[in-house]
Amino acid sequence: MSKTWYSDLPQYYQKQIKAMGLDEAGLNRRRLLKGVAGAAGVAMLGAHSQQASAASQMTYMCWEGYNDPRIIDPFKAANDVDIGFDLIVDSPGGFAKLQAGASREVDIVSSDMPWITRMGPAGLAMELNADDYADVYATFYDQFKPPFEPLLSDGKTIGVATRWGWVGPCVNTDVTKPEVWKTYDPVFDPANKDKICVMDWGDWPILPMALHAGIDPYAELDAAALEEIRKVLRAMFKNTRTLVGDLTQAQKGLLDGSLLGCIGAGSYLTSAVRKQGHKNIVGLVPDQKNGLKQGIIWVEATAILKETDQPDLAQKLLKHVVSKESGHILSLLDSTCNVVTNKAVEELYTPDEKDILQVDYMWHAWDNSQMHRIAPNIDDMLAIWQEELAAAQ
Amino acid sequence: MDGEITRSWRDPELFVKALPSVLLQTTCFLAPLLMTFILTFQRTRDFQLRWTWDLATWTEIFSKPHYWTILGHTLFMAIACVIVCIVLALPIAYGLATRFKAYENEIKTLITFAFITDATLKTFGWVLFLDKKGGANFLLSYIGFPPETVAFLFTDWATLLGMVYNLLPFAIFTIYLSIDNIDRSLILAAYDAGASKFRAHWEVTLPLCKPGIWAGSVLIFLLGVGVFLEPKVLGGGKSPMSAELIRQTFETRVNWPLGAALTLVLMIVAVFIVLLFTRVAGMKRAAT
Repeated sequence: MSKTWYSDLPQYYQKQIKAMGLDEAGLNRRRLLKGVAGAAGVAMLGAHSQQASAASQMTYMCWEGYNDPRIIDPFKAANDVDIGFDLIVDSPGGFAKLQAGASREVDIVSSDMPWITRMGPAGLAMELNADDYADVYATFYDQFKPPFEPLLSDGKTIGVATRWGWVGPCVNTDVTKPEVWKTYDPVFDPANKDKICVMDWGDWPILPMALHAGIDPYAELDAAALEEIRKVLRAMFKNTRTLVGDLTQAQKGLLDGSLLGCIGAGSYLTSAVRKQGHKNIVGLVPDQKNGLKQGIIWVEATAILKETDQPDLAQKLLKHVVSKESGHILSLLDSTCNVVTNKAVEELYTPDEKDILQVDYMWHAWDNSQMHRIAPNIDDMLAIWQEELAAAQ
Repeated sequence: MDGEITRSWRDPELFVKALPSVLLQTTCFLAPLLMTFILTFQRTRDFQLRWTWDLATWTEIFSKPHYWTILGHTLFMAIACVIVCIVLALPIAYGLATRFKAYENEIKTLITFAFITDATLKTFGWVLFLDKKGGANFLLSYIGFPPETVAFLFTDWATLLGMVYNLLPFAIFTIYLSIDNIDRSLILAAYDAGASKFRAHWEVTLPLCKPGIWAGSVLIFLLGVGVFLEPKVLGGGKSPMSAELIRQTFETRVNWPLGAALTLVLMIVAVFIVLLFTRVAGMKRAAT
C-alpha cells in the first residue's frame, strides 16, 4: 500500500480526508509545506517591497471609507507614497487622540466638521488658504464654497467639506407613512412604545430632541432650556425599545419591521440599506416647528495637521479626496452611502445611485435643517442624557 | 528554629530576584494607577485637559446620584451573574470530572471553543436568536406557540443571559479543577461510614471544591463588573453598566478626569467587595 501524505493520521481523519476528496487533490506534505512557506514568504516580501519602494510615508486619520483602496491606491501610485491609516470610530475619540499626542504622527484628518473646526483653536490644524483650493471649490455646490462659516475659526478656514447628509427620523415606509413623521411626535406616542430605536451616538439623538422641545441646541443654553431638554429626553426614554450603537442593529430592526422609527441617525443609516435594494427605508426631515428647523445637516471635513512634515503632499491628498472620481467612490461605499460636496460627482451617478442617495430629497432636507456645528452646552446635554438614562432603569 | 532561612531586603540575592517583578508591577500597574488618580484632580475645558488641581470631579461624583445608581446596578448584575454561573457550573463540572470521564477531552474542547470564540460574535448571535423575528420565535411558532413568545431581548434578563453565557466557562474550569483534585478515597470513606450519596456530596465533595467555587466567583465577579457589550447589545443600552458609563465619559464627553474617577470608584468598590467576601469566607472557615 503506497504511503500518502495523510497515512500517519488516525483512521477517522483518513476517512474524512477521503470523503472530502482531498486525497486526490494532488496534495502531499511537501507541497503543502512549500505552499504555506511560499505564501508566507510572498506576504513578507510584499510587505517589505511595499515599504521599501515608497519614497515617503504619510498617516491619514479618517473614518472607514476614506481609506478605500479605489481612492487611495491611485494617489499612492501617482505620488510614490505609502499611507498608513488611523481609523476613528467616533469623532471625539479621534480629537482626544490628536490632543494626546497623535498630532505628531498624523498628517491629515477626515472627521465630523465640528471636530475639524475645533482643531483650529486647539492649535492642531493648519490654516488653509482658500485661494490654494480654488480649483477644488470651482466644482463644489455653492453651499460649501468659501467662506463656509461652519469651517471657519477666527475667520480662518480650517478644513474642506467632503461628505454630508441629514439627521432625521429613519423609517420603513412599509410599516409607517412618511407623512406621520413630519414631526417627532410619533417618538412620544404611547401607541409606539417599544417600537422606537435611538442611536447611542453621543450628541446625535439629543440634538433633534432639543429641537423638538423648541430649544436651539447650537445656542448658549440657560438652566431653563437645559431643563426642557431633560424633560424631552425623559419622555423619549419612556417609549424607547432600544439604544443602539451599532448601525446594523438599527438597520435590521427597520427592515424586519420590529422598529417603527429610528432617531439620531439619518441618511447615514438608510442609504446603505437602500443600496441593497430596500428603497422602503428612508431618511426624512420633519417640517419646521415654531420657526425652528427640525433637521440637522452633518458634514464631514478634511484638515491638514499643523505638525505635518509633508504639507504639500497632504494638500494633494486633500484635493484628491474631494475630486470627482474619489467623491463618486466615497458616496457609494458598502457600509454607508452619502452625498458629497463636489457637484461634479452628480454627473457620474446613475439614476439608481441618485435614488439610493435620495438626491431628489437632499435640498429639501437642507432647507429644513440646522447646520451641525459646535454646540456650546454639549457636555451639559450629555450629562443630562446619562442622568436620565440612569433614572429610566 | 534551626535551619530557618532568614529573608531580608538586605539579602542581595532576594533583591535581585524580586527586582524584575517589582519593576514590572511598578511600571505596568502602579504607575498607570497613579496617573489615573492624578488625572481625577484635573479638569477639561473645550474638550482639552487643564492642569488645575481641584476636587471638582470628586464633588460631582459624590453629588450626582446617577453615578451610584449605575454602580449599584452593575454590582447587582455582577453578583447575579456569579450566582447563576456557579449554580450552572457545579453540576457541569461535577459531571465532567466524574460521570463523563470518557468524553472529558471532547467536552473540554467544546468549552475551550467558547473561550476562543469572539464575545462580540457570540453576543450578536444571541440578538439574532432572541429578536422578535429571530430564530427562537421562529422555532416556537413552528411548534404552535403564539408569535413573539420570546420577548425579553433588550431587557436586563437578556443582559444577564449574555453575561452568563460568556463567563460560564471560567466557573466550569475552576470548579472542575477543584473536583478533579479531590481524593476519591475520602468520598468512599464517607460511603463506608454510612453516608448517603447526597450527604457525601454535601459534606465531602462540596466543601472540598470550595476553593474552585471561590476562585470562579471572584473571576466572574471582577469580569462581570467590567462588561459593556452585553448591556449595550443584548440589554438595549437602556440599563447602562459602569463600563459603558466610563466609556461614554472618556470617549463621548471627552471628560478624562471624570472617566478616571469613575474607573477608580469602580475598582475600589469591586476590590472592597472581594476583600469583604474573603474575610467573611475566612471567618466561616475559622469557625468550622
